[in-house]
Amino acid sequence: MTRANSTNGPREEWLKRAAAAEEACKSFSVGGFAADLGLLPSASTGIKSAFSRLVEYARRKQGLSVERLAEQADVDLESIVEIETEASVIPDARTIYQLAKTLKLTPSTLMEVAGLTTPRPQIRDAALRFAARSESTASLTREEQEALEEFVRVLVEKSDGV
Amino acid sequence: MSSEAIKIQRRTDTEFVDAKLLTGMSPSNLLLVEAEWHPLRSVILQELLAASVLQERWPQSLHWNWSRKAPELRLLAASGFGIVYDQKWQGVMLTKTEPCKARLGTDKGKPLVYVDFLETAPWNWTIPEIGRQSLYRLIGSTLLWRAVKQSDDEGFQGRIGLHALPQSEGFYTGDPFGMTPIGRDPDKQNLLYLELTKEQARQILDTGDAP
Repeated sequence: MTRANSTNGPREEWLKRAAAAEEACKSFSVGGFAADLGLLPSASTGIKSAFSRLVEYARRKQGLSVERLAEQADVDLESIVEIETEASVIPDARTIYQLAKTLKLTPSTLMEVAGLTTPRPQIRDAALRFAARSESTASLTREEQEALEEFVRVLVEKSDGV
Repeated sequence: MSSEAIKIQRRTDTEFVDAKLLTGMSPSNLLLVEAEWHPLRSVILQELLAASVLQERWPQSLHWNWSRKAPELRLLAASGFGIVYDQKWQGVMLTKTEPCKARLGTDKGKPLVYVDFLETAPWNWTIPEIGRQSLYRLIGSTLLWRAVKQSDDEGFQGRIGLHALPQSEGFYTGDPFGMTPIGRDPDKQNLLYLELTKEQARQILDTGDAP
């Protein structure tokens, strides 16, 4: 239950200074707890998982916008953005299956890359190499294209018989 | 929960309006806040995509989705504060006192209040790229001021610490708080850790307390 009582708040002069300071600021977010939970977007930390990069690259390689991928994979837009921007997001199995189908990747292997199932050592090593080589830019550079192709090649090789 | 009377400022006419600062919220109350804020977050996401705004310029808390973190919230030992105006959550903050020690200068090793989380409602965000301006000011400032006061009340002499998102660093280092940046913290995804010393806190509380 809420009970009303008054307290000594900041003075008006201080409030005016604070309001002026806030005018110049875009954000006031404090993120210690969010960092503990892996909720920070990669754009703010520079950290991006191999899974995030793989989905982004594979989408861009197919010339799909985020919205178009969401539509074709029948996955909600926020989930796609979350996958591409958060370092530690692990989507559910259905989302991964739908993405794999749309991006022409093998679902079981994509689940390993996403961390939903335990990755085999070769997949884990390839993912680490891929994440280390890739940078986020508007269009795929030649190096990114090569990194993506090499990673996908490993995924395909290791998917044989799966 | 109990409530304290505070003032926030409406941006459009700079009038101060009476709002409530609720104390004693549990971390799980963030789920209620999330339910209220989520629809506008989705709209903002659509607007950013439609305007082809680079992700680097998106609000860095756009994807905080507490609904998937309910178990962690239930386990978190933290004090919750929220500002309510017009029957809506305008901003929330979580603070901890254990096991938080100051890292700075003569305060090193002394207890402080650690601000674990602070966020304002999406209608209070300023996103010039899509023409959005905050509706109310003083949400972030008042919540942080309340953390300083909590620290003073606990006998910690106003010392506080926090990890700011990159887009927020300027707010915490600038006037009227002037917190001291300690360094990037690898344990917190490289966020900048800042502290307010007891001397800095005294200035804020001395000029901030009502007569």
